[in-house]
Amino acid sequence: MTQVVVSGAEGRNMAPPPVATADVARRRQRAFQHRRDRRGLWFVMPFFVVFLMFLVVPLVYSVYTSFFTTRMIGGTVFTGFSNYTQALGDGAFWTGMGRTFLFAAIQVPIMVVIATFFATIFDMGVARFGGVFRALFFLPFAVPGVVATAMWGSMLQTHVGVFVRIFLDLGLPDPNFFGPGHLLGVIVVIAIWEWTGFTIILLYTALKSVPRDVVESAIVDGAKFSRIVTRIKLPIIRPAIILVVIINVIGALQLFTEPYLLSPMAPNVSANYTPTVYMYNEAFSAYSYDFAAAIAVVLAFIIIIISTVFLLSQRRKGALV
Amino acid sequence: MSATTAPVPSSVARRQRNLGVSSEVPLQLYGLHRRTVNLVTLACGVFTLFTLIPIWWIFVSSTKTAPNVNSTFGFWFAHPFVLWSNLKEVFTNKEDGSFLQWLRNTAIYAGIGGVGATVLAAMAGYGFARFNFRGKNLLFIWIMIALLIPIVAFAVPLYLVYAKVHLDSTMPAIFIPFMISPVSVYLMRVYAGGSVPRELIDAARVDGAGEARIFLRIAVPLMVPALATVFMLNVVSSWNNFFLPFIVNNSDKLYTLTQGLQVWFWHTNISGSTENFTAITIAASMISISPLLLMFVVLQRYWRGGLLLGGLTG
Repeated sequence: MTQVVVSGAEGRNMAPPPVATADVARRRQRAFQHRRDRRGLWFVMPFFVVFLMFLVVPLVYSVYTSFFTTRMIGGTVFTGFSNYTQALGDGAFWTGMGRTFLFAAIQVPIMVVIATFFATIFDMGVARFGGVFRALFFLPFAVPGVVATAMWGSMLQTHVGVFVRIFLDLGLPDPNFFGPGHLLGVIVVIAIWEWTGFTIILLYTALKSVPRDVVESAIVDGAKFSRIVTRIKLPIIRPAIILVVIINVIGALQLFTEPYLLSPMAPNVSANYTPTVYMYNEAFSAYSYDFAAAIAVVLAFIIIIISTVFLLSQRRKGALV
Repeated sequence: MSATTAPVPSSVARRQRNLGVSSEVPLQLYGLHRRTVNLVTLACGVFTLFTLIPIWWIFVSSTKTAPNVNSTFGFWFAHPFVLWSNLKEVFTNKEDGSFLQWLRNTAIYAGIGGVGATVLAAMAGYGFARFNFRGKNLLFIWIMIALLIPIVAFAVPLYLVYAKVHLDSTMPAIFIPFMISPVSVYLMRVYAGGSVPRELIDAARVDGAGEARIFLRIAVPLMVPALATVFMLNVVSSWNNFFLPFIVNNSDKLYTLTQGLQVWFWHTNISGSTENFTAITIAASMISISPLLLMFVVLQRYWRGGLLLGGLTG
């Protein structure tokens, strides 16, 4: 630092600064920077160690164990891809997989549309008492999935639930919410109830970060309200929308708590209702941990492939950060 | 002349106030019909109804006797009003384990998990934002890829690994995984990058402060809003988590609230004796959501802060 000053001050009427001095300074600075760099690693390490031990190790172990099969007689033997061929050829697995796809395909779009609608409204200040509504909509985020499912399950319970009784009191037939045709719909409603408020907050904060001058100049140019929303605001927050979609698809494909908790009330929740329920039953009811691990790996692959393809397709459109 | 120009500054000021401070664009600028505003407010009201119905139901039901829960109108109170005895029953019933113990366990898991996740994320985020070490980008990409990995992919394997090292059904086995939050690392990196000036760090270095001291005395105070948000996010997700404890813990002494409530809820519905457990399960559910609702109200301003805002677009 001082050398630079000296060379700058004296360079005009004296000889240029000796090369050696500048070199030493640069080297010293590089050494200083290098040491500083290594210290940066110390800040990252604690997280990374926990990350390795409690996430990466189990994942690797999961892949490892899925190549073995434990039998009553003969112990654990290496069986290569047999767990995978079993999982991939298993109708029970694909039935559940198909059901979660259907669930994700219904729940995620409905929720994202509702959340985008309300986030836009709150952002533009269109509704009266927007702040109050925003706080109210966020409340379900504080409610665990277990409690949310217990509440909705009890309210929709066959014969006695409050909604069922309203139907009966009006002289309508028993709606049987847990019947095969309605059960998935009930779970969609519960999931929408649980996650819409949080999604609204995510999108709302993204909308709030859109530079004001962009919107203001559009207003000055006389752009209509709907145009400002659809042509300026929403395209700018597209990365946030994509993020929200991906997070929710990943969550939806792992569907477990809601169907599992409803199963004593709703006999239609089968042992393979979703892949995660199936995996749980295989691991802890049938004690086939290896097969359960294979199911988990397959499910993880499907989820990672879907989210990666989705991300890449969005990137090609040049819409991702 | 002066009469016509006088109002202009005040209206400009009002508009600026509207645009800048409250950051709500005034409606008039869009020329929206009053009918549109009413319709939109109505939509908000409908969704509020949807949001509040279960919460109202659980509150009303927690004041009823078990037979009354299903035999009287669900959305209104009935005689006798037994809220207090239901709440007492929640804490005294020991049939499937102790609610108080679950509450204490969950507070410990969520507390340690939340603090741990925040500390680890703050350090990592600061490290990523303000240092240039070898392999930094690769490391960061690794952590971000973990965002895409579903929890089911490692829950059962985690249990198997725990069983191998005799860590299954212990407290750390439950709360340590709560500390891994890639989203928090991401948010912290973005926030530290925007709020901790390099010049300040360099100045402290010139003054001879060590890196740990710089982090604790300079960076951490500047990251307080982000720390609060990340802490809350992690407390909530730990408090509400069901799947992970459900897989890795089968000791009822170490149950989380969600695990305990699941057992009570099933007990209510499987055994024919629906009556006994309905009321206390409902009351227990209500108790279990109150601490977080309280926390939201107390710390609400942090949810509006610029953290998620920067994180989602930066």
